[in-house]
Amino acid sequence: MISRHTSLVDNIVAFCRYLRANGFAIGPEEQATALRAAALLSPNNRATFALALQVSLTRTVQEVEQFGQHFEAYWQELEHAVDSKIKEDATKKSKQNGSSQPSFDTLKSWLSGNKNTQEIETATYSTAETLSQQDFSLIPSDQLKELEQLLREIAQTLSRRLSRRQERAFHRRTFDLRRTLRHNLRRGGEMMELHYKRPRRNRTKLVILADVSKSMDLYSAFLIQFMYAFQRVFRRMETFVFSTDLHRITSDLNQQNYQEALQKLSAKPSGWSGGTRIGASFQTFVADYGRLLTKDTLVVILSDGWDTDQGETLADAMQQIHQKSRKVIWLNPLAGRPGYEPRTAAMQAALPAIDVFASAHNAASLRALGKWL
Amino acid sequence: MQNPELERIAELLLTQGYITEPSVTMAVYLSMQLQKPLLIEGPAGVGKTEIAKVMARAMDTDLIRLQCYEGLDASHALYEWNYQRQLLHLKMLEVLSKTSDQSLPAEDELFSEKFLLKRPLLQAITHHKSPVLLIDEVDRADEEFESYLLEVLSDWQITIPEIGTIRATHIPQVIVTGNRVRELSDALRRRCLYLWIDYPDFEKELAIVKGKVPQLNEKIAEQICRFMQELRQLRLEKTPGIAETIDWATALAALHFDYLPKKLIEQTLGVILKDWKDTRTAQLSLTELYAKMGVISKLDAL
Repeated sequence: MISRHTSLVDNIVAFCRYLRANGFAIGPEEQATALRAAALLSPNNRATFALALQVSLTRTVQEVEQFGQHFEAYWQELEHAVDSKIKEDATKKSKQNGSSQPSFDTLKSWLSGNKNTQEIETATYSTAETLSQQDFSLIPSDQLKELEQLLREIAQTLSRRLSRRQERAFHRRTFDLRRTLRHNLRRGGEMMELHYKRPRRNRTKLVILADVSKSMDLYSAFLIQFMYAFQRVFRRMETFVFSTDLHRITSDLNQQNYQEALQKLSAKPSGWSGGTRIGASFQTFVADYGRLLTKDTLVVILSDGWDTDQGETLADAMQQIHQKSRKVIWLNPLAGRPGYEPRTAAMQAALPAIDVFASAHNAASLRALGKWL
Repeated sequence: MQNPELERIAELLLTQGYITEPSVTMAVYLSMQLQKPLLIEGPAGVGKTEIAKVMARAMDTDLIRLQCYEGLDASHALYEWNYQRQLLHLKMLEVLSKTSDQSLPAEDELFSEKFLLKRPLLQAITHHKSPVLLIDEVDRADEEFESYLLEVLSDWQITIPEIGTIRATHIPQVIVTGNRVRELSDALRRRCLYLWIDYPDFEKELAIVKGKVPQLNEKIAEQICRFMQELRQLRLEKTPGIAETIDWATALAALHFDYLPKKLIEQTLGVILKDWKDTRTAQLSLTELYAKMGVISKLDAL
């Protein structure tokens, strides 16, 4: 009993490591909190002990949901090891999910030289001008860097132009001399009542809904990278990706780039490949995140409009999104092709609720997007 | 073998009318023992704010509340100078110096605590005894606000340029609540202990209703809770929380029915559903909901 007590500290620390290997954000401070919490309680009551560790080591709902499982797994294994006197390194148990990432297949094959691009390669003169006219999916891999640079430049120019307009919004509130004087005249010029002014703030918020089914993955990557250059302009930015399911990736994007975030997502067991369910995804969005939409919200949707669902769910969801937000912009890369008409059932259903319908297939069209922001 | 202190807190919460579960008790206990802020998240109407109120009552101390909103800034959260009073003070001194030979005061007299308006955060750390500080719906405030909050929550001090740093006389018990409108920064999360409260299960909800509306017929109380449990399974714009259940129970108790006919549910739906679309959804599936409710309660009667 005593020996097990003294090893409790070690076990808690090892458990923290185990959690960290499983994606929990646990640093020395959390470990210290867990140890202090454990010191307050008797470790004999397993449920209480688990709760104490849960409260000190979890930080999000997702972590709370996973915690029970990890706790059981770890301490069961540990008991087993103690009882059979087999020392087993607990950290070995952490397994990295090595599942396939279907959504990256396109990107990978494209990075390793897309066969379709052969003919263009000969034609390119590698100037920004030709590059900006090129459909993203047709740009050869060796020009990827150049394209990224180009996009960054466009985004920066646009963003600077937009933020200059709102420069004064970031000032602290200032004293309004004119109004103060006027209001205090009725007191014979005694300064009793003070008035302040504040520049009007840009209250626009941005919500991005990007299709990451196989056909759209590439365009979404570019659009999201592009939009993130505008982070300073908007008060808040929320990013969601969908194919069969809707996922919020805002917080992932704050910490890593889009590709890593997507990789992390595709490692999750939810059905990633398969048909796109735009209607259902948007319905989820309205139900779970409808609160994000206000009259100051700009919604940017990127999808080719190939939906496996019925049109009605989409029409209904789109109408709600439209009603609650300021403007709905639907970007469809196919729209850049000559002779394209939005004839799919989903596009037909969504059209009444769209304010701006544009393409986003190349850098030039992204530049044009600036005027809607 | 339970921790006696833990049981005491569970009992305190219970006597204050808060039906609790182990995770809530544990979170409150650890937050008090370790003097760490407690971040509570969960859907609207599950009693997040109530925890702070109950804690204040149980600890017999004051509750200082900071309701967050978009655009909340330092002058509303931390402190502000009382400009009017400063001006008045100057004016009086001006008059005095004309009549007598007093010299005008030094500038730092004007920037003393006398002219400081304490907003909730400053008030909380300078309170005469350790209060419960409730920072409600923190995710509605801007990200800038989170940074003010971090200074307060990690060092228990507030820096006022004109005076200097004010340190906490007593460390307040901090409760931070959020509705997940926006992701909170990791820095804030890591300062706090975390508690997630979900909609209650049937037994807990029943216990709460019985506690809050004791005059209600027991059978109706059960039916109400079953109905709410089923109702939350529907896809609604605004899923009703415990607050709505209690409102509904109070309303039905006032009507003195000893059973719950379908028509009555239909007529009183407005108490629990606050969105016309939800009302329509519920009305459409009312028969189904009612059937589920009826079947279960009949089984229970066996």
